[in-house]
Amino acid sequence: MSDASSLLLTFLRDAWMALAGAFLAFALLAGIAQMLRVSSASVLGANLWVWESVSALLSIVVIGLFAFLGIPQIVNALQSSLPGGVGCGPISELGTLASGLIGGLAALRMLKAAFTSMLSASIGGASTFASALIECGEAIFGMILAGVAMPLAAWFLGTC
Amino acid sequence: MFDPIMEQILAIARDAWAFMAGLLIVVALLGGLYFVLQGTAGMAFGGSRMTSMAIIGVVGLVIIVLFAFLFLPQIGELLKSFQPKAPF
Repeated sequence: MSDASSLLLTFLRDAWMALAGAFLAFALLAGIAQMLRVSSASVLGANLWVWESVSALLSIVVIGLFAFLGIPQIVNALQSSLPGGVGCGPISELGTLASGLIGGLAALRMLKAAFTSMLSASIGGASTFASALIECGEAIFGMILAGVAMPLAAWFLGTC
Repeated sequence: MFDPIMEQILAIARDAWAFMAGLLIVVALLGGLYFVLQGTAGMAFGGSRMTSMAIIGVVGLVIIVLFAFLFLPQIGELLKSFQPKAPF
């Protein structure tokens, strides 16, 4: 069980690193795309366009800071609240595996939501920070539910 | 497992960065030429407001391009230093 757990978590960690790298690359591309928009709009004299681009640039920085500073802290806080090895025997091992997987999947989902938002900003669309926050909220709610359900399942299936 | 995909994405992103940086330079040069034309036309027939607007436009354009080429790489470095390891 521990081998399967470590294999799956390694896979999820690699996915996290790849997604974080791609996030950074797209953040920079989004930044230069907005700067291009600012320069062309200032030449054309389009004030509204300039301010839209400046606010998009600020939102890109905010999403980047949220993804790189906020999400790991949220995941750490929630993962510490997840009961890992409740009970004993196979249910304990299953609990440890489940808590690791739930944390990993929730972290990836949150980063994916921020990445989608950044991608939208990089192609000139609206930076959907609200939808990223909604997805993060769903992931947090799922982790809280799992934190409640796992001790109940351990109690139901039999503890030592 | 994700390394080959990551390399592909980074290669595309580098190409896109070079393309957009080049495009930014082209747009800035065209904009600068437009402002120079506006300024000289203003000077020729005594349009002082037109000339001063053209000078302000050129200065603004230079500031925007400098901001793009100096500020964005610094923001990238900042975000790179914040890039977290997997929190699980």
